[in-house]
Amino acid sequence: MASKYIALPKGVSEKDFDAAIVKFREILGNDSVLTSAEQLAPYTKTMMPVSDAEHTLSAALLATTVEQIQKIVAVCNQYKVPIWTISTGKNLGYGSAAPAERGQVVLDLKRMNRILEVDKDLAFALVEPGVTYQQLYDYIKEHKLGLWLSMPAPTAIAGPVGNTLDRGVGYTPYGEQFLFACGMEVVLANGEVLRTGMGSMPNSNTWQVFKWGYGPYLDGIFTQSNYGIVTKFGFWLMPAPPAFKPFAIQYQHEEDIVEIVETIRPLRISGVIPNAVVIAHALYEAPVTAKRSDYVSGPGSIPDEAVHRIMKDHKLGIWNVYAALYGTQEQIDVNWKIVMEAFLRSGKAKILTEEEVAEDAAFTYRAKLMCGEMTLTEFSLYNWRGGGGSMWFAPVSQARGSETLKQMALTKQILAKYGLDYSGEFIVGMRDMHHIVDVLYDKTDPEQVKAAYQCFDELLTEFSARGYGTYRVNTAFMDKVAETYGPVQRNIHKTLKKALDPNGILAPGKSGIR
Amino acid sequence: MKRLKLKASAFFFISAAMLMNNAWSEQEYKPDAGFVWKDGAEIYAKVCAYCHEANVGPKILNRELPVAYIRAIVRSGILAMPAFRSSEIDDESLAKLANFISQKASQH
Ligand SMILES: Cc1cc2nc3c(=O)[nH]c(=O)nc-3n(C[C@H](O)[C@H](O)[C@H](O)COP(=O)(O)OP(=O)(O)OC[C@H]3O[C@@H](n4cnc5c(N)ncnc54)[C@H](O)[C@@H]3O)c2cc1C
Ligand code: HEC
Repeated sequence: MASKYIALPKGVSEKDFDAAIVKFREILGNDSVLTSAEQLAPYTKTMMPVSDAEHTLSAALLATTVEQIQKIVAVCNQYKVPIWTISTGKNLGYGSAAPAERGQVVLDLKRMNRILEVDKDLAFALVEPGVTYQQLYDYIKEHKLGLWLSMPAPTAIAGPVGNTLDRGVGYTPYGEQFLFACGMEVVLANGEVLRTGMGSMPNSNTWQVFKWGYGPYLDGIFTQSNYGIVTKFGFWLMPAPPAFKPFAIQYQHEEDIVEIVETIRPLRISGVIPNAVVIAHALYEAPVTAKRSDYVSGPGSIPDEAVHRIMKDHKLGIWNVYAALYGTQEQIDVNWKIVMEAFLRSGKAKILTEEEVAEDAAFTYRAKLMCGEMTLTEFSLYNWRGGGGSMWFAPVSQARGSETLKQMALTKQILAKYGLDYSGEFIVGMRDMHHIVDVLYDKTDPEQVKAAYQCFDELLTEFSARGYGTYRVNTAFMDKVAETYGPVQRNIHKTLKKALDPNGILAPGKSGIR
Repeated sequence: MKRLKLKASAFFFISAAMLMNNAWSEQEYKPDAGFVWKDGAEIYAKVCAYCHEANVGPKILNRELPVAYIRAIVRSGILAMPAFRSSEIDDESLAKLANFISQKASQH
């Protein structure tokens, strides 16, 4: 007899799963336990070059309270049912809302979406997992709190809890999200509820203002992990500055990345440029206004000659730096002078400010990201090839020009081997760079799917062989990346897993941990 | 008046006891009630428009697209467009959204 489920968890009989579903329905009500193919369809679309069947869930649970989640983990322990937790569920290019392994139940916390507190004076927020950036943005506006959000490019439809738990990045001075996280509430696999840091102490009012608490700092082990289910999350917000000056700097040659990085690093480390600067390749920015098919057809990666035509037609540099200054007008004026002097020294840079490029679509969306405004314009990347295939290749690099050039050249060379384009950018951290490459391919074309998979695999292999690690990866490659960090770390991860979740019910496979 | 007060404090005791195992009570927050969409226009403006009015997706207003088609695309996603789950846009709100989009120009 055909199963009534579209998938079943590994090693769980249909009879046991039936029993678990009955209990889930008792806890949540019928409408919040989804099992039909139609209800689950939105969870099955991924952008990865593997069959979506490999990541098809068995059911989705829409919980809204801590107590419900405590009861759910009890049922999961009883029947050994694995659950994959999502908050806003828009981890696009990293696995979307689908679980790491076929048959896992998705615990979808999108409806657990109360904004618990936003403190204007201390500039922090405490939210539940389902809160989107749009919801928080509207709340801040409505209550005139004068605080800015630091968001990933999918702004409106993503949220602070999921983004920070996956250690994502934004583009304001608070761009390294996890640095600004302060206090979590976590449901553990045994049903206990932990509040991290100062939150562990009854009646404490410093949970969202002091990160470290007492004893070993625990928040980190709940990021990119499967040790708990985060149900409340605190983080700091940036007070809206009196003035904001976004700008772009264009360069014409790929080797100029060396000069760019050498110029930016001291400005970034000293805080003259305070935000997560982006150095975007022409092919990352082009899709905002250009169509690939207007420049090339047929197989193979786009030739440099076509890229140069695009740069000319769409007023792009081969590298496009986006950064901003924040503060009082006086502070900005002083820092602007320092920035201008630094970049104009070699005569290669073209500096553009709002006066020149206010109308430019790429500049506009970058400026929005740097001041916490909503935009989804970066999704134009997916119109470049078409076909909806994408994986983020995200190796970490030193903020050193010679290193970024090496990484760029190696990435481009491997992509070219598989006929794919270099849609890359560097996001400048405090000392590092997140080298972010959107490996775009047509998921409707089986040949490109195969090529994209092999290409990504080779990128990981070649980069790790040179000591370049990736900071985050899609669910199809989590084991491979975990392997590159060596056996000692893997063992520690496993030891913690066994101690905190002996039945392995929480998101098995996340970051290669089971 | 007195009875009312008594009742209220009895209720407080029970709910506090229920949360005792956590040692803190939810009363420390005065949270908002949780998020619900107002109407189709709001969803369009705060989700769809960021792509469909920004050259990422095609124009979908004023084309009288069939309601069932809009609902299907929102739930399944299509190529560059992500899928939206019922936890994000509930069925009732999606029906309102689809009606809003498929209306004739004059009705927007
Ligand atoms: C065009 C485009 C641009 C992008 N740009 C960026 C960018 O600039 N920066 C960036 O960081 N990302 C970017 N992304 C990737 C991704 O879309 C974002 O990181 C997004 O914020 C993640 O989705 P989410 O916030 O809905 O989190 P979710 O999908 O809800 O969560 C992400 C992961 O965190 C874990 N998790 C979530 N909730 C919990 C919980 N309550 N308890 C325990 N674990 C949990 C799960 O493993 C989950 O898979 C981009 C994607 C696209 C398509
Ligand atoms: C992240 C960007 C994005 C968002 C957000 C988005 N869409 Fe789309 N949508 C697209 C793209 C891109 C396409 C075209 C896909 C293709 O065929 O290549 C599309 C296609 C569609 C189509 C088919 C149009 C046609 O001409 O047949 C409909 C209908 C649609 N979207 C509705 C919606 C609705 C309703 C929302 C809001 C809930 C929404 N979309 C949100 C990007 C988006």
